[in-house]
Amino acid sequence: MKSFCLKTLLLIGIPVFLAISCNNDDEEHIADTGGIAAETQVRFVEDSLPYPRLSDYGFFEGKLSELQPVSGVLPYDLITPLFSDYALKKRFVWMKPGSKASYVADHKALNFEDGTVLIKHFYYENVQPGGGVKDMETRIMYRIGGEWHFAEYIWDEAGDEAHLHMDGAYLPVAWLDASGNEKGVDYRFPSELECFTCHKSGTNAIPLGPKPQNLDKDYPYTTGAQNQLLKWAAMGYLDGQIPTEINRLVAYDDPSEELGERLRSYLDVNCSSCHLEGSHCDYRPIRLAWNESESLENLGVCIEPQEFINSALSYIISPGNTARSAMHHRMQSVDEGERMPLLGRSLVHEEGLQLLTEYINSLETFCE
Amino acid sequence: MKTNLLKSLCIALTCCAGNLYAQSTCDESILIEPGVYEVPEIDEGGVPIPVCAPNGLAQGGGMWYRFSSDSSFTARIYTSFIENFGIDNRVHVYTGDCDNLVCVAGDDDSGTGFLCEVIWAVEEGLPYYVAFDDRWDNSGFIFEFSAISVEEPVTPPIGFNTVTFPELSRCLGTVDMDGDYLDDLMDVSNTQVFLLLQQEEGEVPFEFVNYPTEQAQFPYVWSIAAGDIDGDGYNDLVYGGGAGVSFMFRNPDGQSFSTFSTPDYVFSQRSNFVDLNNDGHLDAFVCHDVAPNVYYMNDGEGNLSFNQGGLSDVPDGGNYGSIWVDYNNDGLVDLFIAKCRGGVSAANYNQLFRNDGDGNFTDVSEEAGLYDPVQTWSSAWGDFDNDGWMDVLVGGSSGPHRLMRNNGDGTFTDITEGSGFESLLATGTEWVAYDFDNDGLIDILGANGHLCFNNGDMSFTCHTYPNLGNGPVGDFNNDGFLDIGNNNFLHYNEGNENNWLKINTQGLVSNVNGIGARLELYTPSGKQIRDVQSGVGFRFMHTLNVHFGMGEEEQIDSLVVNWPSGIVDVHSGLSPNQFVHLVEGEEFISDTTLSTSSPSIEPLKIYPNPTRDMLFIDWPRADAGAIIRVYDIHGRMLHQSNFAAQLSTAHLPQGLYIIELQGEAVRLRNKFIRH
Repeated sequence: MKSFCLKTLLLIGIPVFLAISCNNDDEEHIADTGGIAAETQVRFVEDSLPYPRLSDYGFFEGKLSELQPVSGVLPYDLITPLFSDYALKKRFVWMKPGSKASYVADHKALNFEDGTVLIKHFYYENVQPGGGVKDMETRIMYRIGGEWHFAEYIWDEAGDEAHLHMDGAYLPVAWLDASGNEKGVDYRFPSELECFTCHKSGTNAIPLGPKPQNLDKDYPYTTGAQNQLLKWAAMGYLDGQIPTEINRLVAYDDPSEELGERLRSYLDVNCSSCHLEGSHCDYRPIRLAWNESESLENLGVCIEPQEFINSALSYIISPGNTARSAMHHRMQSVDEGERMPLLGRSLVHEEGLQLLTEYINSLETFCE
Repeated sequence: MKTNLLKSLCIALTCCAGNLYAQSTCDESILIEPGVYEVPEIDEGGVPIPVCAPNGLAQGGGMWYRFSSDSSFTARIYTSFIENFGIDNRVHVYTGDCDNLVCVAGDDDSGTGFLCEVIWAVEEGLPYYVAFDDRWDNSGFIFEFSAISVEEPVTPPIGFNTVTFPELSRCLGTVDMDGDYLDDLMDVSNTQVFLLLQQEEGEVPFEFVNYPTEQAQFPYVWSIAAGDIDGDGYNDLVYGGGAGVSFMFRNPDGQSFSTFSTPDYVFSQRSNFVDLNNDGHLDAFVCHDVAPNVYYMNDGEGNLSFNQGGLSDVPDGGNYGSIWVDYNNDGLVDLFIAKCRGGVSAANYNQLFRNDGDGNFTDVSEEAGLYDPVQTWSSAWGDFDNDGWMDVLVGGSSGPHRLMRNNGDGTFTDITEGSGFESLLATGTEWVAYDFDNDGLIDILGANGHLCFNNGDMSFTCHTYPNLGNGPVGDFNNDGFLDIGNNNFLHYNEGNENNWLKINTQGLVSNVNGIGARLELYTPSGKQIRDVQSGVGFRFMHTLNVHFGMGEEEQIDSLVVNWPSGIVDVHSGLSPNQFVHLVEGEEFISDTTLSTSSPSIEPLKIYPNPTRDMLFIDWPRADAGAIIRVYDIHGRMLHQSNFAAQLSTAHLPQGLYIIELQGEAVRLRNKFIRH
């Protein structure tokens, strides 16, 4: 473990990271991961995947709905998350002993090896009537044979178990938001094909969330707060060769951050899975990934939309003019034929829309 | 300064009886002559109506100016001054008088940014009214009124008279929905079908009705198509939803719909009704964005079964715009799919499937020369050069367009260069082919409302019109000139002197709509062809009626209908400028055949069907003198008798037959199969 710390020292030069990673003693690391050794409680028999029930994997111990991860199942979080009709989320990663990910680029998902599982759990709080938590679905991406696969688990009504369901479904749910207002949605559970529509590059399935630019933040582990990338490296889940500085996203909802960066972070997470070379809609002119959206042209400023909605929407973004901006129209639309993002939301994300409104109103240029 | 301003405001208020500014209504418009003027804040007064500029009604105010001239000149209203930058204004220009304003010109955004600028030809002696409104912005600004010298703008071959209609929020379909063969206007929701039913001449143009449907399991999102699946005389609907497909069957009461869906996940794009196995019953085809295409086979009892595979099996789909057209003139409808996909994938290569007639479809994309990665959502098929073979414009949704001439030998040649489409930078998802100016040459509507007129030499000249976007095409006033609906605008074709012929097809052996029929119009000027199609373009449901423009031609030698059944009807003695109803195997008698009380909506049940020895006939409205006739598929009468509730079929060989019931005021036909 000493050598590990030295390696980290050499490769990750940010002092605060060092302090955190090296303050944890070796024993704690082992206790935290449990799985660095060749033992794991998780069941991962390739030929049997996907399992019919979420509990079959053994990712969690105790009552399933408590989602208490067994050792080796590591929770993680993102700087800016995808909006999914206000569902709350928990995320976990697990790797088969011996598997590890490596860094590719700040804006690219980590290069995972076979035997990796990404787990994303969706739920609501203050569910109406009666309050309480409603577990909706747990989505799994697992990598075997050099390819990613999807498995969708829908929770039963009692909240005891989640069952494999790959064909898509709807379920109405209502809850109270932070201000006590009731919200509701006919919640969409994705089919396998819907998963793939966003999670792909060309014809290959890919993960979207775990990119260094969106992981590079502290997470409150049971052992204390620690940078996630360092933690993954410490667990053996990530090759330690990571650049000293990551060009990372900002939290879209942090008003202390610069407005343009907040919007670009939001668009990266919510839109760039399609508006990126190699993605479902790369034939449209905009490029909304964090590393491409500094260009106003890529953002759609003064760019005419190719798809006609109505003649008032002159540009994808019309500076200072939300009423003439197709992006604004699409983000405030719930019409499935017009809304953006197309998949993964049925409701308007008011906070995201407000961010776009502020950004458009802050632009003072004119389109020729 | 402040005091002075207040004082002048007070004076204005006092003298103008509540109007802040003198020029806030047409009646109080300010007389102008060439010069620069300051428009105050627009916060009240007369909203300019009709709307002559794009983008709908103003919010609540207008500022009005007027002039007239004793000489003709070209006038310009200009607002692209640096002082105005950041403002989003709009202008309307009228003639007439304040009680009867007629649009002359209008503009929203032709200036810098969102500023307006309009140029029009002033005629000597006419009054002109110039009105700005607050559609986007109520800020004040300055404008210049001047006389300029310009060349005469090119006027398009056809004008449109544009009206708005408040009853429908959007126009999704222009197809007959009440059995009178006149195109109605349609919108749908999850639980309703909204219709503006076209009325007979002389009455109010439309009757608004709102029919309930069972809740659509997969609501309309991406496309809608109409066809009579169950053969009851009323068109049924298919909704291409985001996660599945819903069918809406018109109930026997004619005023409500029942739904049917299978649970299968379908990321629908274009949907069509077509008789895939040519059994006389309409099947449905739906493009799948992210998987092989799906289709629903009709067993003839109105039961639909889900199928997937065999009609483009590219695993990740890319299917956007399916269109069923007979490209090789073998009498069978073939399938072309306009395809689109980001990234490296075979999914964006367009495909052509040849119908081999035995239930097999062969991928002939490459040999035809249509296997092309143009990013397209739909294609416009028509015989643009009237050589008897269907050509195609593959319209770019992003990037270039491709005009392909059908060589008549199964191949196509790229003739984009020089066609006008090589320089059309506008793109769009909707591309359809119709003859809008009735000159006998098929035009193309696409690229977000570009109407591209066929010059007759495989080149096209595109025009745009205020507020005209792509939408369904039909004849909303039965005048033989095709109109366009989009959003809540109706664009009535103003027409010209050209002749036309409009046809409704009713199949008997073939499917009831005659979908898949090939019509050939022979005149001394040459031959024109059309295919009856349900589901062209990307999203909308266009008319099911067949329309021919004939230019100055006044003579029709013959009209040949090649029905999907193989029956060929040759009609002679037709004259132009009428809407004719053609029934399969039946001679066309006169234009009175097109009656509003369609015979097929009468309640009639024959069972069992197929049958062996006996056919039972349930026809409550049979009158005393009613007669039964039986025909074979070649139209030969095999039986005639007085009406009875049962008919012996034991002596008939196995096959398909037509039973005809002739009452005093009605004639019904139906098909039955003898096992």
